[in-house]
Formats: sequence, structure tokens, C-alpha cells
Amino acid sequence: MSNELTPESITKSTELPKAPAKRPGFFQRMINGIGANNLSLIFAIIVLVLLVTVVSSWFGLEGGNKFFSWQNLWNSLAQAIVIVGLLAIGETVVIIAGALDISIGSIASIGSVVAASVLVGAGIVGGTHLLPTGSVFLALLAGIIAGMIAGSINGGIVTVLNVNPIIATLGTLAAFAGFAFLLAPDGKPIGVVTQPAFTWLAQGRFLTSVAIPALGGTKWTGIPILTIILIIVAIIVHIIMTYTDFGRAIYAIGGNAVAARLAGINLTSVRVMMYMLSGAIAGLAGVLLTSRTTSGNPINGVGLELQAITAVFLGGAATAGGKGTIMGTFLAVILVGILNNGMNLLGFNTFVQKVALGFLLIAAVAISQWRQARAESARTRIANKG
Amino acid sequence: MTEVSLSNPPSPPANPAGTLEIRNISKAFPNVQALSDVSLDIRPGEILAFVGENGAGKSTLLKIINGDYQPDIGTLTIDGQRLTFSNPHAAHAAGIRVIYQEPEIIPGVDVAENIRVGEMPKRFGLISRRKLNEEVERSLAEYGFTDVLPIHLLGDQLSSAQRQIVEIMRAIKSGIRVLALDEPTSSLTDDEVERLFTLVRRLRDEGVAIIYVSHRIKEILRLCDRVAILRDGRLVAVKPAAGLNDAEIMRLMVGRELSAVLKRQRAGTEQEVLRVEGLNSNWHSNISFHINAGEVVGFAGLVGAGRSELAKVIFGELPKSGGRILLGGRNVNIRRPDDAIAKGIGFAPEDRKREGLILMRSVLENASMAIMRQISRFHFVRRGMERSIATEYIEKLQVRTPSLDQEVGKLSGGNQQKVVLARWLAARPKVLILDEPTRGIDVGAKAEIYGLIDDLANQGLGIMFISSELPEILGLSDRIYVLQNGHITGELSATEASEEAVLALAMADHLIAAGSESQIKTKDSAT
Repeated sequence: MSNELTPESITKSTELPKAPAKRPGFFQRMINGIGANNLSLIFAIIVLVLLVTVVSSWFGLEGGNKFFSWQNLWNSLAQAIVIVGLLAIGETVVIIAGALDISIGSIASIGSVVAASVLVGAGIVGGTHLLPTGSVFLALLAGIIAGMIAGSINGGIVTVLNVNPIIATLGTLAAFAGFAFLLAPDGKPIGVVTQPAFTWLAQGRFLTSVAIPALGGTKWTGIPILTIILIIVAIIVHIIMTYTDFGRAIYAIGGNAVAARLAGINLTSVRVMMYMLSGAIAGLAGVLLTSRTTSGNPINGVGLELQAITAVFLGGAATAGGKGTIMGTFLAVILVGILNNGMNLLGFNTFVQKVALGFLLIAAVAISQWRQARAESARTRIANKG
Repeated sequence: MTEVSLSNPPSPPANPAGTLEIRNISKAFPNVQALSDVSLDIRPGEILAFVGENGAGKSTLLKIINGDYQPDIGTLTIDGQRLTFSNPHAAHAAGIRVIYQEPEIIPGVDVAENIRVGEMPKRFGLISRRKLNEEVERSLAEYGFTDVLPIHLLGDQLSSAQRQIVEIMRAIKSGIRVLALDEPTSSLTDDEVERLFTLVRRLRDEGVAIIYVSHRIKEILRLCDRVAILRDGRLVAVKPAAGLNDAEIMRLMVGRELSAVLKRQRAGTEQEVLRVEGLNSNWHSNISFHINAGEVVGFAGLVGAGRSELAKVIFGELPKSGGRILLGGRNVNIRRPDDAIAKGIGFAPEDRKREGLILMRSVLENASMAIMRQISRFHFVRRGMERSIATEYIEKLQVRTPSLDQEVGKLSGGNQQKVVLARWLAARPKVLILDEPTRGIDVGAKAEIYGLIDDLANQGLGIMFISSELPEILGLSDRIYVLQNGHITGELSATEASEEAVLALAMADHLIAAGSESQIKTKDSAT
């Protein structure tokens, strides 16, 4: 009897009239290029900047005038968003695939400790230096590989043991956090302040000698290396997601895992690779945390996953998967960064900031749900037409 | 339709009080006339069977009776009172209830509460457990179900039969006048069937009008008093069951000219592309068949016979527990769908929205999914190549879409199906499995898909064609295998195949039960 015609099966069967191939107008093409969603993020950033710099002064709040200064833009804002930005970019891939990785903060902690260990030679088998110390490159590589291994554990739990991604990575969030402490001798941070080549990653500047006039009373000091690393990673992941078969597979799995599998996508290998990518980026974030805080500290990554996930959803990724862009996440990271930065400038304390961030996550998801519902009803409406 | 007017007296007063009178009901969905001018009396104290092929209009009629749908034209009346139901609750309030194949049972709640859901006995404003249990036990005892339906079982612990009984008890307690059962025995054991029949007969004797929908003609002849036969949305006959036999019912169900659209002009080859030997799985036992290049091989059977599952086992989506699959004479081990694709099999699943397409992605991405490996270099998709291949097949199949970048979910059903087909044509398989490729699409798109299947076979593809629509399976197939309950019950050549022959094999459960003990028992108890 299930073969009988139902209105669902029938109404969808009506043919669409062939739409004329009309070339969209200039404005429409520009919006399509940026993406309507990204456009609204840009709009939100502009509004937020106006709130911080102009509107705040109407209410007698001080500090907003410091926003447009090289000191604030590069030192406070651009550097502050890097770690969360990296984590959010890895998380975007996972969320587009319809999964979640809550463990990225703990993976960053592992990356932080491992990089510091390799750098100073501590924590390596009983005083024997298995690796040459002081190599920035090795430290960087070790942190990334440690993150990749942690990610493959996540991937194995989700695919082989078939555990729900939220539960799986909630478990590894705790487990990896503990493991980061086990890696550090006596659970204490490993100082790397004596490694200038390594701390340069966080403190170095690019284009320092270019003659750019002062802004807001502070001199041009160059673009932070950290920010450049974030931009490079964002571009690489954007290319992966847009131009490779792996990226296609991620979108397909997030859109409809069963259909993706039946179209020949190996769900297991794609999911494991996806967690390894997210882990590797979290490991890199951990290495940079070590560099910025000048210590490989097992608490370095604690709590960062919340901000990262907030940015991903704010950036337009669908909670159900299948939708989202690296560009959207990148803009959302900037938005969250300006929110934090602005509140700092205006003198709100960190507790207020946490409250704001929590509500922002909920608002971002609510908007994403509303958008999905609207897209769904648009599909139904079109399919029912005629 | 002279038979209707003969067996269905037009004078309403002839009917006893409480008769549900269906008059001139028509119901259309876009492109499909699901029911045309159906008039029928459902009398208290009788069991009336609805039979017909898939798509004959049985479900639509039940849904109108239940208030799920409203008829475009026509009326329902009881005792001269016209009934208009805007929803199933209104129908329930009028004493009319349709019990579908999967009754709605609340999983975490026990039998007593499931039966009395919505109207629990209260004491001091709180639900009285004791009173509830007493009342439910009393009514179960009255109908002799105390031993089969312990009231403390939770909803998710219930068997299909127990679920049906809960649903029927719900109906009884609210003063039932008309009770419709939709394929109630499809998942029941013989013992459960007997209990259900006892209950149904008892309700009939108490004066309830009962509608019984089933594919099992033997059961209908045993249980029912009259048989209403539907075909293509029309009532073709209403006859007393006493004067009927199964051959006569099948003749009435089918009785139509084969669609002239379907004409075969193929020269099938002897070159074998797919052979399955002794395949066993959770759903199948000892399935063996082969498909030659250039051949369309139909797989017929009732819903639930295991045809879709067979496709999925071959494709590596469901596990097999035994047997061999040979492609081009070579034994292959297929563990996952991507293995199957790499070895030259394509599969367009039955449910294209859930299993076929990524609705939120573009036509382009959906069309190129199965050839990602071929069109990528160092994992980078060669986009120019992708577009030109997708364009080729989208044009070949005449997919009506504004552009390749259109979201697939925004296309019509027929065009969505063509996108799925485009994907598999692009992959150039040797064997293409099509599971209900024309389901839910309109007549024009159907004809195009028939033409396409024909073309593909002429180009040398072996096509495994699963369909529940007999005319298309008969019209397109060079050979037909008929499945029933996980067995192949017969193979018919194009010349041997007729709707009657296929239906006889598909419904042969009581006659050609291949070694299943429960089915042999049914046969005994039936005779």
C-alpha cells in the first residue's frame, strides 16, 4: 500500500516551466559573488563598529575613540582573533559535514604542550633528547602532527565505534585535556621564553618598514605574523573546500549522508580525514598559543571551542550540515573579535563578555535554523507550484 | 461500469441504519486522478474488502474516510447525516477509524495508557492508575486478549499484532461504527492473524461496519463478506465473496490494455554482465539470477518482497551473508557502494529525496558525484571537464533546470530523477539498477524515462529494473523475475509474462511457499 499515490509524491511531480536564461544584473551578480549571507555579516560588522566608535559616546561611554588605531587594530584585534579563528576554520569543515568537534580546545592544549616539549627537549623519554632541541620547524610540525593524531582518534570513535560526534568529542574533550597535563612534566607549563626564534611566530611583524602614516595616535608597526598565518590557513582550507573532491564530499555528506554513500563516497575515510584536518589545525593553534604565551601550558586551549563554534554558526553554517563557507566563518570571527575588543575598550569586564558570547551563540544558531526553515519552505513552495 | 450499478443498489433506504454511504467520490492530485466517481455502501455487520493494484486508489479512499483528505466531489453519509471531516479527529468522533499498517503507539508508555491515551480516568484531578488498569483489563478480557496483551508492556515492546490490537481497542472504547484495517496482516504470524480475525468477526457480529484492505486474496476470501475491486481510481466491481475465486479477483484487478507506449525492439545479447548465485541475506534466501548486456530484466513483486533490499545487497549498501556476485563472469567482492561503482554498477534508489540526491546542492554537484575520481587530478576537481560532462548528460536527458548551479531540491520530481540518472550515465556503468525510477513523477517524464531505459539497453547496458507498476515492467522487460518474501518465485520470459502470471507468482505465498513453515501452516488453516 505504500506504493499508492500520496499528495507528497504527486505534488512534487509537477514540472517547472523552463526558466529563461536571464543574465542577472550587476548588483545581483555582486551579491552572488560575495554571498547574501556574507553580505549580512559585513553589514553586521559595520553596525558593530559604529556602535563601538560612535553610538557608545552618546551614552557617555569612553574608549570607543581608540578603536581606529594601529595599536588596537593590529595588536588587540587582529592578534586576538587568530587562535579562535584557526579553530573555527577547522570546525567549519566538521560542521558542514553535519558533525561536531568539541574537543578542539583540548587538542590545542596538546599541541601547545607537545610543541614546547619538542622545543626545549623536556618530556621526551627520560632525559634522552630524541629530537634536536630548539628547532622551530620541528616544534611546529610536532604540534600539528599531535593534533592530527588526536583528530584521527576522534574520527575512529565516530566512524568505527559509531558514536555520536557530540558525545564522542565531548568525551575526548575531557580525555585530551587530561592527556595534555600528563604530557607536561608534573602538569606544569613548559616555558619557551628563551626561544626567540619560536616566540617570533607570535610577536613578529610583517611589512614593518613600509611608510604608512599613524592612525589614532599610534604608529604603524607592521602586520602580525599570526594574522598572516590565519589568512594563509583560511585560504588553503577555502581552496580545499571549494576545489577538491574532499571538499565536495564534505558538503555532500553534510547534505545527505545516505545519498552521498550511495553515490560512492566512502563516508568512513572522509570523516576520519575531516577530523584529522580539524585536529591538525587545532594543533597548529596550540603551537601558536605556546608562542604567544611563551609557555606550553596544558590549560592553553581550555574553553576555546565555544568561541570557535559560535563563530562557525554565526558565519552561516547550517546546524544540520551541508551549508557553510570558510569566508562566512572568517567574517564571523572578525565580528566576534570586534565584539570582544569593543567591550574591552568600553570597559565591560570579561564576565559581561562571556554572557554576550553565550547569547550570541544562541542567536547565531536561531538565525541559522530560521534560514534553514525558510529554504525548506521555498523548496516546497516551488515544487508545489503548478 | 455496469457491474457497479448492478451490485450496488442505488436506493439508499435499502441500507440498514448505520450504513456508511459513499457517493460519487472523486479526488484528484496534480496530474493524477486518484479516485473517480466512487460510490459504495459499507454496511454494519459486514466485512467489506478493498482490493486493487498499487495505485488503484485504495489508500486515497481510506484517507478520505479517515478525514486525512477531503474529496473534490462526492459525499459521505451515515443515517442520512452528511459527514465532512476536516481531520482524522473529526472522523474518530463520528465513530469512524482507519487503522494503518503501522499504528501509532507511544513507545515509552504501557498498553493501558496507550489504549486510553487522551482520556485517562481521573481521581481528584489526577490520573488514577488503578482505575485505568481495571478498566483496560476488563475490556481486554471481554474480547479475549488478556493473555496476548499484558497491559504493563511498554509501547516499544509490542509486536505488530499487539500494536494492531491496541489500536483496535482504542477504536472500540470510543464507540466505533466503521473500522477500516489497512493491510493488517502483512507483518503478523499465522497465530496472530487468527486472533485478529476472531476479533474482526466479533466486531462485525456486534454490528460494526468493517473495511478490510489486503493484497492477500486467500485471506479476503476467508474473512470478508463482500469484495470491492478498484482499478485506476475507479470502482470496477462489488461482489459477494461467496461467488468469487482468486483468479476472478485478479482478472478484475488487472483487466486493462497494456500501455501502447511500451514497445520492445531489442536484441538482447548472450554476454552476461551480472550473475548472482545463491545469495543470502537478512532479507533473502537463495537468490539466483543473471542479466545479460543489452537486456532489461524486470524485478516484480509486492511491496516488502525484498526487491529494493536485493538491489542494496548487490550494491554493497546492505550486507550479504552468503552467495556469489559475478560481474562479467568474474567473482567480485563488493563491500561498499564505492566498490560497486568502481566495478561498473550504478544504482538509482527508490527514494530519490532520501537516498538519491543531496537536495541542497547543485545539479552540477549531484550529477558529477559518482565520477569524482575520474575527473579529479591530485584531488582537484577539473571544473571545466566536470561542467562539460554534466552539460552533456543534462542535455541528453532534457533535464529542465535554469542552470547547472540550480539547487536540485528546487526541481520537480521528474527532473530530480533525471539528475540521478544523469549521474549514473556519466559513470558509464555496465549494470544499472533502477529501483522504481518512475515513482511519483508525471506521465510525460515517465514516457521519457521509458525511452531512456530502452536506449540504454540498446547501447549494451544490462538493466535491473525494479518496479511495482506492472504495465511498465511488462512493457519494458525482456525477462522478469518475480520475488516474494525474499525468494525468487519465478522467472518469466517476455512472451510468458502477463499481469495475471506475475501477480500469481507475487502473491503465491500460500501456494508456492519455498520452505517456510509458517506459510505452509497458513495454507493448511486456510483450506
